[in-house]
Formats: sequence, structure tokens, C-alpha cells
Amino acid sequence: MQPSAAILIVDDHDGFRTFARGMLEAAGFTVAEAATGAEATAAARTVRPGLVLLDIQLPDFDGFEVARRLAAQAGAPVVVLTSTREASDYGGLIAASPAVGFLPKDQLSGAALRRFLAWAPAGEGRA
Amino acid sequence: MNRALRAALVAGAVAAVGCFVWSSWPPNSRYAPVEVSFALVGIAAWQRWPASRLGLLFSIVGYLYLVPYILVNLANPVAWTIGNLCEGISGAALAQLGLAWPTGRLRSRFECGVVVANYAQNIVFDTAATMVWNPAFSGCNASCPANVLLIGNGSRSAWNTLGTIAALVGLVITGIVLTLIVRHWRSARGWSRRAMIPLLWIAPAVGVENILTGNLFHFPSLVTYALLPLLLLAGPALFVISTVRARTAGGALGTAIVDLEPGASPGRLRDALARALGDSTLQLAFRLPDGAGYLDTSGQVVDPAQPAPGRAVTPVTEASGAVLVHDAGLGQEPQLVRLTAAAASMALEHARLQAEVQAQLEQVRASRARLVEAGDAERRRLERDLHDGAQQRLVTLSLALGMARDRAAKADPELGSLIESASKEAREALTELRELARGIHPAVLTETGLTGAIQALVERSPVATTITAVPDSRYPAAIEATAYFVVSEALVNVAKHARADSAQVLIRKFPGRLLVEVSDDGTGGARSEGGSGLRGLADRVASVGGVLRVDSPPGGGTRLEADIPCP
Repeated sequence: MQPSAAILIVDDHDGFRTFARGMLEAAGFTVAEAATGAEATAAARTVRPGLVLLDIQLPDFDGFEVARRLAAQAGAPVVVLTSTREASDYGGLIAASPAVGFLPKDQLSGAALRRFLAWAPAGEGRA
Repeated sequence: MNRALRAALVAGAVAAVGCFVWSSWPPNSRYAPVEVSFALVGIAAWQRWPASRLGLLFSIVGYLYLVPYILVNLANPVAWTIGNLCEGISGAALAQLGLAWPTGRLRSRFECGVVVANYAQNIVFDTAATMVWNPAFSGCNASCPANVLLIGNGSRSAWNTLGTIAALVGLVITGIVLTLIVRHWRSARGWSRRAMIPLLWIAPAVGVENILTGNLFHFPSLVTYALLPLLLLAGPALFVISTVRARTAGGALGTAIVDLEPGASPGRLRDALARALGDSTLQLAFRLPDGAGYLDTSGQVVDPAQPAPGRAVTPVTEASGAVLVHDAGLGQEPQLVRLTAAAASMALEHARLQAEVQAQLEQVRASRARLVEAGDAERRRLERDLHDGAQQRLVTLSLALGMARDRAAKADPELGSLIESASKEAREALTELRELARGIHPAVLTETGLTGAIQALVERSPVATTITAVPDSRYPAAIEATAYFVVSEALVNVAKHARADSAQVLIRKFPGRLLVEVSDDGTGGARSEGGSGLRGLADRVASVGGVLRVDSPPGGGTRLEADIPCP
């Protein structure tokens, strides 16, 4: 089992954040939350998460823009985009973004995130 | 002129014809054809121009040729003498007719003077010549009626001298009359100028006849008695030409209106009317919107209350606020003026209706485009609401159920499997809701434009589909949505009906338009009529001003092409 990493959940939907936090903490992760793109980039600097679970639809910037900003930070975290929509609803945007992948919200689980952490290029997301 | 006079003239003409037939045939008067034709044309001209004196003038000329002939042949001394006195007056009447053409009125006091002088010199010289003419000079002694004015035995030399002087005076007056006629032609414009043209040819011929039959020259009798009088038929010919011209103009008006292309400008209408009438001075003027005067099609100010000298105004219709300003001579042909006004009115009304229909069509087009855009916006909003609301809640529910299942499974496996089935239901509901939302409006189109949206469509298509080209640029939402729906509907049709092995999508941007093309190698035979989705798709393309073309020969595959205007 991978060593537990800090997860930053970025989503403007309170209900989802609550459940996701519960699920991921139960899976052994440390969890931080952000409700907007601006909050996410700020929190990433202080929390130094290993993985950011990033909702594509945010009230200020969209997830792709937030992913670009996070990628530009020193020690950039692994970013996994998420949405209630499917990946195909975003055409080639997901592939073009610096995120390592996409996880439909209803398929969220600790195991799924661990797989993303394992696939991430060496050195990335290991703050 | 009143009915009684007209009836008398008609009766006279009939009597004259009868007289000729009764006395001898062919008639022994060298002027018989002239007399009869002038009398008949006088009646016809009167019928055609009831308000003008031309009819009366024609009749007078005819009778002035006819009456002396009848009087001279009555074998009565007084009648014979009177007949000889007024033998030359017809020429003066003919000159008056030429000077009064085409309105029937003399133009100045000077002209009145010339006409009066011409009548007077004819009467004076004829009277003087009669006083010295002994009928015996012509070789008839007892058989000829006596000359009641004869002084003594008369004098052949005096008669000859008088004849020569009369011919010289006649030459001068003929010259004056011809000069005046040429001046009339030069000063006339438009319709009147055209009306003067036949007179310009005919008047010199008549003048020449007048001179040649005088006592100055001596021609073989065939010329003097048969050919020269025929020149006088030019008078009736003048009437016939003017009548034919008016008729032709009437017909040409109809043709001009029919040939006028739809939506022609008032300027073109004026040109067409002017051409048909043969009046280049014709003006078509419209009341200014503020009611302050009229402007014609060339931008000139026109005052219908005070037309320029020689011009006349005819309103087209009250409603259109248009007037025709034309040569006053055209007033001679009231029927033609009415016809012109009616033709102009019809053309203007047609143009107005066409502009109205065009404006309505534009309104309908714009409102259709707005309806479609509003529909698109509403669908976008619905999809977003579903995404933000029900889908989010179902996701959360699904996650909660998953957690509940994990916890319950250890303590109560039965409860665990119950929650698992509830969780599965929630996930299926979510999947169905996603499909529904995508059908309402593809989020990918809003997010990525055509590139991603077409890619997503192609990936979901059960038939192997390749994208030949899709531009990366973004276009107005209505155009992107239309292009997307064309491809989406086309791929659905390929999967459902075409039995194709492969399909191709091509979207290409040209200056001012976007071309969307979907083709397959299936069975073909698709038709845009009938209840197929193609009809609705064609409407959708038309809503943004585009055209949908379907090329689907049986067995030859199907090619759907939407040509959409695009900035």
C-alpha cells in the first residue's frame, strides 16, 4: 500500500465535498478542501497535497485553467479531473490538460485515487 | 362641337360620295380622293379628340375642296360664280391646319394674322380673277353657266397676270407657314416634338403642291391633275400616323410594365414609361414625406400646382402621392394619359406590395432565428440545471450509498446487498440522466466548440467514422449548434438506415460560410421530404439562413451537405 498522501478536494458542491472527505479519510488519506479555483491554487501552496481531485465546473475558473495554474507551481501535485459528466463531454480538453486523468464523480474511491498516484510520473506529487 | 353639326358633316360626306358616284365614276374632280378623305378624317378626328378643333379643321378643309366643285357643276350662274370665288380657300384652311397641329390652336397673334391674311388673299385674288374670266375662254359658250361677276367680256391677259401675282403671294405665304411649322418643331419637346415629326415631312410636300399647281409653272396634265392632288392625302395621313402612334404607345406601355423587373426602382419605371410613350421629358415625382413639395426621380423639385409652361400634371393615384409631369401636348390623348397613370400606379403598387412582403419575410426570418436561438439557450440552461442539480445529488447519493454499503456489509451482509442494489439503481439513474442531458444540449459543444463535440459524436457512432476536417475556431452559438445537429442527425441516420460500413465528417470554413458535410457508403435513397428527421434538420439549417442538400442516389451512398452563412 502506498504511503498516505494529502488529497485536496476542489468542488463548489458542499454535499459532495463532505461525502468525499468521509470516504477518503476512511481510506486513510489526509484531506483538505477548496470550493473555488482561487482557493484551490492558494491551498495547494500551503497544504502541498500529493493529489488534487479537481471538479471541472467551478464558479470562478474552469478545472482546466486551475490545472494549468497548479502545474505551473513548484512541486506540482498530481491532478485528477472529475465531473458528474463523462470524459467524452469534454472532447479533447482533458487530454490536452496537464491533469493525469479523469475520474467520474460517482466512481470516486480511495482505491481509484491510489491507482492515479501509482501511475503518476516519478517525482510528481511526492512533496 | 355639337351633335347636330357633327351629324351634318357626316351627312355631307355621305352626300358628297353619293354625288361623285351618281355624276360619273371615276369622279372627274381631280380632288375627289382628297375631299372625301379629309371629310372622313375630320369626323374620325373629332371622335378621337372631342375637345380639340382639329376634327373641325379637317372637315373644313374637306368641305372647302368639295363645295366649290359641287357649286361649279350645278349648271347655275350664281352657284358657278360662287364656286369660282371660293376655289382657293381650301389651301388657306390647309395652312391653318398645319399651323394649329397638333393641338388645334394657333400659337400667337402673328400666326392668326398669317392665317387671316392667307384666307383674305385667296378670296381677293379669286374674286378679281373671276371678274375678268369669261367662261368662253375655256371654249364653252352656251353650255357653260354665265359668270355673274364678269366685267365686260373679260380679259385673258388680266386673268393671267392676276394668276401670276396670286401665285407669287402664295409662294411667300407658303414659305412663312413652312418656316413657322419648322419653328414649332424646334421649340417643341417630348410628346409634342414627336407629334410634329410627321408634319415636318408632310408640310413641305403640301407646300410644294400648292406652289406647283399655281400659275407659275406648267406641268403635263397627268402631274397637275392626278399626281399633285394625291400629295394632299398627306393631311389625312397625318391623322392616321398620330392615331397609330398613340395606339402603339398604349400597347408599349403594357409591354413596358410587364418587362419591368420585379422591385425596379421608380427611376427605372420612369425610364420605361418615357420609352413607351416616346416622351423623354416625362417626369415621375413623389410627395416628400414631410409633405413639403415633390421630388422627381432625378432629384429635381417639382411643383404640381404650377407646372412649367408647356407641361401638364397628372396624379398617379391619391394614395401613392405620385404625379406624372408630362408634355402638355400629351393632354391631347387623355386615354393615353390615363393608361400611363394606371400603368405607373400598378407598377408602384406592385413595388410597394413587394417591399412589404420582403419586409415581412425579413421579420419572419429574424423571428425564426430568434426562436431557434431562444430554444438553444433554454436547452443549454436545462442541461446546466440538470448537471448542477439532479446529477450532483445523484452522485452524492451514489457515493453515500457506497459508503453505507461498505459499513453495513461487515455487520449485516443482507443489508449490505440491499444497499448495493440501491447504489446500482442510483448509478443507472445517473447514467440515464447524463444521456438525457446530452440529448437536451451537448455540454461538450459549449465547452470546446465543434472540434471536441464532433469528436465526441464520432466516438459514440456505431459506424466507423472518420473526421476529415473540423476547424478549431469558435463560431456563434447558433451556428455551432446547427452544425453539430447536422452531424449528429446525419450519424444517427447512418447508423439507423444507411447500412453503411464507414462514414466521413467534413466541416470546412469558407469566407462568409461554413460547409458541413457527412457522407457514407451505404444504400442511399434518403429523402428530405416526408416525415424523416431530414425535414426538421433542413428547417433548422434554414433558421440560420443556410441550405441543406441531400444527395442520396439508390445504392450510391448518402451525402448530406449544409451550407451555413457564418461570419
